[in-house]
Amino acid sequence: MKKILICLFALLIAVPVYAIDGTQLLKQIDRNLNPESYELYRKLINIEPDGKKKEYVLFTVKKGKDKVAALFLSPASEKGRSTLRLGDNMWLYIPNVGKPVRITSLQSVVGGIFNNSDIMQLDYADEYDVEKIEEQGNEYLLHLKAKTKTVAYDRLKLWADKNKKIPTKIECRTEADMLIKTLYFKEIKDFGGGIIRPSVIETDSPLYKGYKSVIIIANLKKREFKDEVFTLTFMPNMESMRR
Amino acid sequence: MKRILFGAIWIVILLSSVALGEEEYKFEPSEIEKKPYHLGGYVELRPVLFILDRDSAIYKLRFYNRDEGKTIEEYNGKLQIEGSYEKGIARLFVRANFDLQYSYLGWDHNETKRIIYEGYLSLKPSDSLSFKFGKQTLLWGKGYAFNPVGFISRPKDPDDPELALEGFVTASADYIKSFSGPLKTFSFTPIILPVYEHINEDFGKINQLNFAGKLYFLLYDTDIDLIGLTGGSKTNRFGIDFSRNITSNFEIHGEFAFINNQTKKVTDNQGNISESKFDAKSYLLGIRYLTPWDTTFIFEYYRNGTGFTHLEMKDYLSFIDKGYESFITKGSDSLLKKATNLTQGNYGRPNPMKDYLYLRISQKEPFNVLYFTPAITMIMNLNDKSLSLSPEFLYTGFTNWELRLKGTALIGQKGTEFGEKPNDYRIELRIRYYF
Repeated sequence: MKKILICLFALLIAVPVYAIDGTQLLKQIDRNLNPESYELYRKLINIEPDGKKKEYVLFTVKKGKDKVAALFLSPASEKGRSTLRLGDNMWLYIPNVGKPVRITSLQSVVGGIFNNSDIMQLDYADEYDVEKIEEQGNEYLLHLKAKTKTVAYDRLKLWADKNKKIPTKIECRTEADMLIKTLYFKEIKDFGGGIIRPSVIETDSPLYKGYKSVIIIANLKKREFKDEVFTLTFMPNMESMRR
Repeated sequence: MKRILFGAIWIVILLSSVALGEEEYKFEPSEIEKKPYHLGGYVELRPVLFILDRDSAIYKLRFYNRDEGKTIEEYNGKLQIEGSYEKGIARLFVRANFDLQYSYLGWDHNETKRIIYEGYLSLKPSDSLSFKFGKQTLLWGKGYAFNPVGFISRPKDPDDPELALEGFVTASADYIKSFSGPLKTFSFTPIILPVYEHINEDFGKINQLNFAGKLYFLLYDTDIDLIGLTGGSKTNRFGIDFSRNITSNFEIHGEFAFINNQTKKVTDNQGNISESKFDAKSYLLGIRYLTPWDTTFIFEYYRNGTGFTHLEMKDYLSFIDKGYESFITKGSDSLLKKATNLTQGNYGRPNPMKDYLYLRISQKEPFNVLYFTPAITMIMNLNDKSLSLSPEFLYTGFTNWELRLKGTALIGQKGTEFGEKPNDYRIELRIRYYF
């Protein structure tokens, strides 16, 4: 009898979790982070164990599910570089080299903990399936599995605030569940236009002990673009998209 | 007293930990403010030490009348400046390159007319359409080290393929159209390239107006370009290239060029020059592969249809030896001068022979040393089995500084391309500062 009662009680607790549509929740988290089409500025800071910093500033535009382009504004050694993602296709344009070249999603453009996918990230719901949801106090824990092999991190563990439905922490893991890095979402800010989201993302990685990376987000705005902006031919003209 | 001291130390530790914990990250509006103008570039210092091969043919050709010992030093300085000004749909862009060199020949610098690498006015009436008028570098093709379809660009140096190249004066347009479906992007780039006295005169035959064009398709996730050049300064030529990601870490690319009525000037081992005309076919196949441990492999096979055979190259090198013998025995350098003329833009051009293999292996940040990339590059001439092998170390850890140490060993028998270069080894340090 005791066992039956315990089972019933466990089921009662579990019901609210399984009642949540994981995909819908993930889509909601995506929309709370960014509009589907937007422009934003990001500063990437790599911090070494001795406190030495290296900073990059990027202008990013995104349209729909699979179109992202980013332009480096600083430092001077990277200025004018642009990256483009169109679905699984990625290109890098270096002004000195003079033509866009295909790159892989795992290749690093800036060095350090970031890879191309971090810089040209799509919506989580477009790249991952929700395998399981757990409730942990005021947070949901979503277990995500990459839809295809082309995604940089095979598994994600995403903790999201229950009320605000925005991430607080994400662990990026390999297929064998090895932790690659952890993202901490901080400093919630009102960007205007109804966008309220964390403005600072801190990253650490067991692969780079003592190193830390920070992304600061500014001027996030909803904006519509023509599809032609997200083409290889347009890459050298990315600067003209800034206003 | 001890307690007060401990207390004070404790407060200091506590305060400092609070301060660290509350570290603020700043992102000032001035960092993203768009300005109508931009000025930047880099300054570079590149000392080079050559260890000479005093028995090689090209050494004899270059040093027959002087003795510079077993090694020579070269000090290279470079200033590359680029500036732009944007107003409405118009943008003015200039990239200038100043080269200064001190070597066994004394001081030297690049010609004044070669200082402007690019200088053009671009107009962008819409995101789908843009125009450019002026000097611009148009690098076509998907190859990393070689570009057989690069019909309107100067040849790349496969030893440093990422160096900026001088452009040509052109008028061009870009029309882009995006679609949904298997064909995602189409773009058309027509070019007008005039060749007259003082305008692009080194491109080919003068007093000709040349037309070139490129059609680009992103079809089934594959980049495809169809390329053509016609007009009279050079014979008609057409090409196709492609690039595609097979998996997220494996890319393949290729190029094919057909050159109509190509002229080849060859010498026999006595210095008798003959010319032949033929239709040349050049092509390239390559891959780029990234391993899970961040090693990148770039591998290319290049077939140069306009290149010399092993026998033709051997004849040319034998002719130099004959010229050197004539200089030693008779004191006459007329044959060596003839050989020098044959070298310039012909036997002495980059990749002068028919078949090459290129392999570059680079390792991103080994042993978790951030911003450090060691690499090794091999260029092999398959016709004579000679090769160049270049290990290098690149460090970019200091903001806007780039430090590269590179060595090169040239390996080959007598009568081979790399075996007959004037030096056996080369070591160079490149220090670059971006501003």
